[in-house]
Amino acid sequence: MTSPAASVASPSPPPGVSVRDARLSYGDTLLFDGLALDLAPGRWTCLLGPSGVGKTTLLRLIAGLEQGADGQATCGDGLPAHGRVAYMAQQDLLLPWLTLRENLVLGSRLRGDRTRETEARADGLLQEIGLGDSGSLFPRACSGGMRQRAALARTLMDRRPIVLMDEPFSALDAITRLQLQDVAARLLADCTVLLVTHDPLEALRLGHDIVVMTGRPATLGAPIRPPASPPRPADDPTLIGEHARLLGELARAGEESARR
Amino acid sequence: MNGYLGSRALVRPIIVFAGLLAGWQAIVWASGVPPYILPGPAAVVAAFRKGADLIAQNAGTTIVEIVAGFAIGAAVGAVSALAMSYLRPARRWLLPVLVVSQAVPVFALAPVLTLWLGYGLESKIAMAVLIIYFPVTAAFYDGLRRTEPGWMDLAHVMNASRWAELRHIRLPAALPALGSGLRVAAAVAPIGAVVGEWVGSSAGLGYLMLHANARVQTDLMFAALFVLAIIGCVFYFTVDSAVRRLVPWQAESHPEEEFR
Amino acid sequence: MKKIMLSLAACLWLGNALPAAAADKKTVLLDWFVNPDHGPLFVALERGYFREAGLDVEFKGPADPNDPPKLVAAGKADLAISYQPQLHMQADRDLPLVRVATLVATPLNSLVVLKDGPVKQIGDLKGRTVGFSVGGFEDAMLGAMLEKHGLSLKDVKLVNVNFSLSPALVSGKVDAVIGAYRNFELNQLDILKKPGRAFYVEEEGVPAYDELIVVANRKDIAKPQIAAFVGALERGVQFLVNHPDESWSLFIKERKELNDELNKRAWRDTLPRFALRPAALDRKRYEAFAAFLKKQGLIEKTPALETFAVELE
Repeated sequence: MTSPAASVASPSPPPGVSVRDARLSYGDTLLFDGLALDLAPGRWTCLLGPSGVGKTTLLRLIAGLEQGADGQATCGDGLPAHGRVAYMAQQDLLLPWLTLRENLVLGSRLRGDRTRETEARADGLLQEIGLGDSGSLFPRACSGGMRQRAALARTLMDRRPIVLMDEPFSALDAITRLQLQDVAARLLADCTVLLVTHDPLEALRLGHDIVVMTGRPATLGAPIRPPASPPRPADDPTLIGEHARLLGELARAGEESARR
Repeated sequence: MNGYLGSRALVRPIIVFAGLLAGWQAIVWASGVPPYILPGPAAVVAAFRKGADLIAQNAGTTIVEIVAGFAIGAAVGAVSALAMSYLRPARRWLLPVLVVSQAVPVFALAPVLTLWLGYGLESKIAMAVLIIYFPVTAAFYDGLRRTEPGWMDLAHVMNASRWAELRHIRLPAALPALGSGLRVAAAVAPIGAVVGEWVGSSAGLGYLMLHANARVQTDLMFAALFVLAIIGCVFYFTVDSAVRRLVPWQAESHPEEEFR
Repeated sequence: MKKIMLSLAACLWLGNALPAAAADKKTVLLDWFVNPDHGPLFVALERGYFREAGLDVEFKGPADPNDPPKLVAAGKADLAISYQPQLHMQADRDLPLVRVATLVATPLNSLVVLKDGPVKQIGDLKGRTVGFSVGGFEDAMLGAMLEKHGLSLKDVKLVNVNFSLSPALVSGKVDAVIGAYRNFELNQLDILKKPGRAFYVEEEGVPAYDELIVVANRKDIAKPQIAAFVGALERGVQFLVNHPDESWSLFIKERKELNDELNKRAWRDTLPRFALRPAALDRKRYEAFAAFLKKQGLIEKTPALETFAVELE
């Protein structure tokens, strides 16, 4: 039996996403203006920056969740992004009255397109993600790591080609984080992924392209492309130098905004 | 901790109850208060035995008023809350009605209701409905308004229709709030029923209490009052237990200590 | 220290030396809100008769008409205006109450129907609804009236309308009301342009009784202040009978809110019903009424009359 996760991507190749003229202000504070971001098709783009810089808002803009921002997010194949996006937040957003398995099939429930195939895929994903025995548990009976795994599985269920993740692993302990990073990298290999994070190591491990967002108003740096394919092992020596450089850049940006 | 009939759970309230009875008898002996003002528990028990049929018959009427009033009031309140959260005209018109229903004391409305609906069960049920309309509607409306935004984001990204979002996310999410409202309603519904009886009736425990009071049968009045108090308690605990079953996922702060 | 003792002694001496000047404070609980039934009381108050009798009388209205006798029995008030039928029931339940004077010497209670309603005579009540306010004995009175016309309580539906007698009748929710006062509700219905018709209880099988009486606690009846109160009341009735118009002005003097059409008409209708000799006690009438209540099953025993009704010397 082929792993259901193997066919996680939709039949056609995943499109790239382009954001142009993104602008957001809260009251009289301008967060960013005229931003442009490209998500390469089928690759992981990591958006790295300090807290509060506006990276979540940029992600939500692409997801169609941000009413207060201006900007266009268009897909490379000309079709709209809405309906082809999967979203994963920092909280697991599991509905407490549903079991883990029922949470996984939430999308089908909401759209009313639940079939036997959906159930089978849910079971397979649970297995894949290491929760094979926990499908009937309620979120309140599960650890944080288990819940975030379930959220990751849910993100995969609808086989959307564009996956937007907002600091999905930052609330987990270091070991669980590394494990889930590997799992996510494997299962989302054929999707166009935007991962927002404040952890440079995570960006280096997972990103094909790393874009650093700093300043107020925020600007995006040129994409950094580390060698080798993600997921890159945490102890890869080529990463260490890059890690130190990124840390320095983020620290400098932090000092500047503190001075302002 | 297996439900209400666990023997350990009953011992404590029984001790409290017995203590209250003993204290009551002691006060009567010590203060020498005459029986037509405050009869002792022995006199009340005697009156209860003597008038058991009368009390039972009238208790039946009051129970029907309470249960029907609660059911109708809860239904009307739930529908109102749903209407208010989805339709702006409903919100505009129902909100003042809601506030007035709470601000005007039921005593003032009782005679009007009685003249309008007659002296039968309808006016008492209407009184109970009036008194619980605000708690139920306000609580449920609040719950519907305060759905976790992350869940709504998820629903949006998953292409859920407004109806699916209501049915699968907002409604279950608002059930704990509705439960709180129902608990309050269960506590006050008996008040509505009895006030209605005081204003115009030919049956019921409130009516019996009035009659006994006029005939200086204070012991019978207290017996009826007691039965009314017990009915109120039983009703409250029934509703509370049902609400718990309705909302099993609601986390309790001190699950070990709570009274079951 | 010596100074304090001296001033204390002076106060005590002064206090004892002026007994007549300091009037005795008495709380009198009314049976209902102030209304023309209380005419003589307020005439006596305004004319200073209580003050001249050495009494500082305060009238208080109750929230519940059933409370005043209980409070007097419990020693929380000195006197109460109450009803003779209630007194018999209270005596049956061993409340230490004694009637010391009569205020209204006739029944006021009546069975009232709408003049152009379906009930033309008591027999027409069969199968109909009768409203009452909880007096405790209204159903017994109604029962006696029905019996006289070959019916029983089972033939009517009794509904407690809690003092909202006129609205209940006018709205058609009930076909008749019992417990309506002939001097009050009848006028109220007239003013509402829905005239009523009364069947008087004492004409329909209920023995005559005193509608309003003054009761005191049994341990107080020998006190001279009680006799003084009754004396002042008699002077009030006397003045009222001789000067009815001036009495009305005295009645509404401190109570402007009572100066309306309803109270005016009620005043006029109540005048002939006040007890001209408040202290006098009609033993035979009281005993006959007690026998009637016992027959109707409202009281279990008939104690000796002196234990709950006296004529003060």
